Amino acid sequence: MGETILELRDTKAYYIIEKNFVRAVDGVSLEIKDEIIGIVGESGSGKSTLSNVMLMSIKRPLTFMGGSVKLYTNGNELELTNINREELQKKIWGRETSIIPQSAMNALMPTKRIRSYILDVMKSHFEEIDEKEIIEKAINRFEEIGISGEFINRYPFELSGGMKQRAVIAVATLLNPRLLIADEPTSALDVATQKMVLKTIKELKDKKIVKSIVFITHDIATVRQIADKMVVMYAGKIIEEGTTDEMVSEPLHPYTKGLLFSVVTPEPEVKRRGITYIPGTPPDLINPPPGCRFHPRCPERMEICDKEEPLLKNINQRRVACFLYEKR
Amino acid sequence: MRDHTLNPFIKYLGRRFFFLLLTYFIALTIVFILPRAIPGNPLASILSRIFQTGQANPELLRSVERTLMEEFGLGKPWFVQYVEFITKALRGDLGTSISSYPKKTLELIIPVIPWTLILLIPSILIAWIIGNTLGAFAGYRRGSLVDRIALNTSLIIGQIPYYWLGMLLIFFLSVKLKIFPGQGGYTQGTIPNLSFSFLLDVLSHYILPSLSIIISALGGWAIGTRMLVVNELDSDYVSFSEHLGVKSKTIFGYVFRNSLLPQVTGLALSLGGALGGALITEIIFNYPGTGYLLFRALSTLDYPLIQGIFVILIASIYLANFFVDFIYAIIDPRIRLGQGES
Repeated sequence: MGETILELRDTKAYYIIEKNFVRAVDGVSLEIKDEIIGIVGESGSGKSTLSNVMLMSIKRPLTFMGGSVKLYTNGNELELTNINREELQKKIWGRETSIIPQSAMNALMPTKRIRSYILDVMKSHFEEIDEKEIIEKAINRFEEIGISGEFINRYPFELSGGMKQRAVIAVATLLNPRLLIADEPTSALDVATQKMVLKTIKELKDKKIVKSIVFITHDIATVRQIADKMVVMYAGKIIEEGTTDEMVSEPLHPYTKGLLFSVVTPEPEVKRRGITYIPGTPPDLINPPPGCRFHPRCPERMEICDKEEPLLKNINQRRVACFLYEKR
Repeated sequence: MRDHTLNPFIKYLGRRFFFLLLTYFIALTIVFILPRAIPGNPLASILSRIFQTGQANPELLRSVERTLMEEFGLGKPWFVQYVEFITKALRGDLGTSISSYPKKTLELIIPVIPWTLILLIPSILIAWIIGNTLGAFAGYRRGSLVDRIALNTSLIIGQIPYYWLGMLLIFFLSVKLKIFPGQGGYTQGTIPNLSFSFLLDVLSHYILPSLSIIISALGGWAIGTRMLVVNELDSDYVSFSEHLGVKSKTIFGYVFRNSLLPQVTGLALSLGGALGGALITEIIFNYPGTGYLLFRALSTLDYPLIQGIFVILIASIYLANFFVDFIYAIIDPRIRLGQGES
């Protein structure tokens, strides 16, 4: 794979709620290259918080506790943790990075026509703008994404769910950002519309509108359809990472196995194996269990698991944090 | 596209108008019943006035009472009175005042209306503008020192009893410091005219009652807008706009605009109620407006005058209500265009 776009090194971000630390992102290191990377985890695994860390969009009660977030733009290397929110908003967000938010349904300013909102976005980034040119480009982008350019003259509430979702994608990518974070973009949509939106997101990469896409979801089945690489998060940590094909055909971590085997798919191997589920619930992130955070739910638990914390170790091209593969 | 959006809009206004007429009718009925439910004799004040002059003997008093009963139709069964009231009101005849007999109620009401409107409309508007701006900034800087100061002051001001604030103002600024006069709409004894000195006199009488209205209304607007802004800031479109790098100033504009939408309703309703005057303010300051007139009408049980004031007041509130729906449909596209969808 090509150049690195974003590099996280040992990032920690906790929610501080009444003097309790909720360790939502707890020592995550990740390199995002010129690719589509899927981040999978249950609710409460810290995946949405991780997306905030990637943008360094930290708002109370979320607090950045340490680590480094490096964004590589054309020839430049920016340490986002050293840039304040105002500067990020001015120079990075929307231009270098962008986001399709979790609740795209209400993401567009409700009492403005999309056209006028687009002009506002542009006016925020450039001193002088040529309105006609911008509108022309915006219409093009809408059509590229597969919705009528005429929608730009509408109010958001005049669009259906799938249309609105794609309008959000179009607006989010107006400035051709290098990195696009899609946070559960399909969760609120029906299955047919989901397919369409997934295709749209994939095309953003194929048409080179964006360089890399971070696709965050709880649904491993959607990741399989779209991502080159897959990262599995559990309790604020990355527990496994690898190419999607490898992860699906040979999951290493017991949690990844659990996730994969709990998905309903029509494949014969699944029919043979049957559906399983992972017993228990994700841990409390204020007092995570000692050792490996998955050990209370792990079917392959060993003695060491509640005593020491497994580190994310390289195994061939993959990374996994599990003692099963360490003491071989 | 235009025709498509116009029809539901007109249908919407038509429906509103129908319900408005219906509720107006019900309100008039209530206005008819309620004063009559107050114990007491509306003629008592006139009769006692005649009695006090000392010229009256019981015989004469009784015959005067009979004449007056006839004049005001008070001897007739209530439903006949009711039908008379409604039919006359529809023709624009609001009857004769009992306490200021033989003046027509309209003759009493119309001259005080300008005084009330001049007092209330600017005061309501100023309170609305200052209150909302203050609330919006406090909400935007939620948790900051500015926010805490603004919120606490607004809470305290908002809770001060109206009449007490008026009395405080009179006590300090009028009685103690003698900066402004504390009573009346103009110096007693002068005849209202358009000379400069008279206008100046009116202005000096105007400031205290106006100030009391502004101060007491301001807190409520500020707290309301602050809450709306805080809610609005949590909206998805705010976070999306931030992450697209939209300027904070522009985002604040969005939030301010969307938070003000409900407050416009409140404003129009207070303006609609303005004709009723600020009852307590006008009583405290002896201000010659509709509120003061209503107070006098109620204390003398002047049925026709009470009814007359309410007929006009309720109509103005309803018009304001209707107007709100109208402007709301203009300023909020979700209402204007959303009516077609069920």
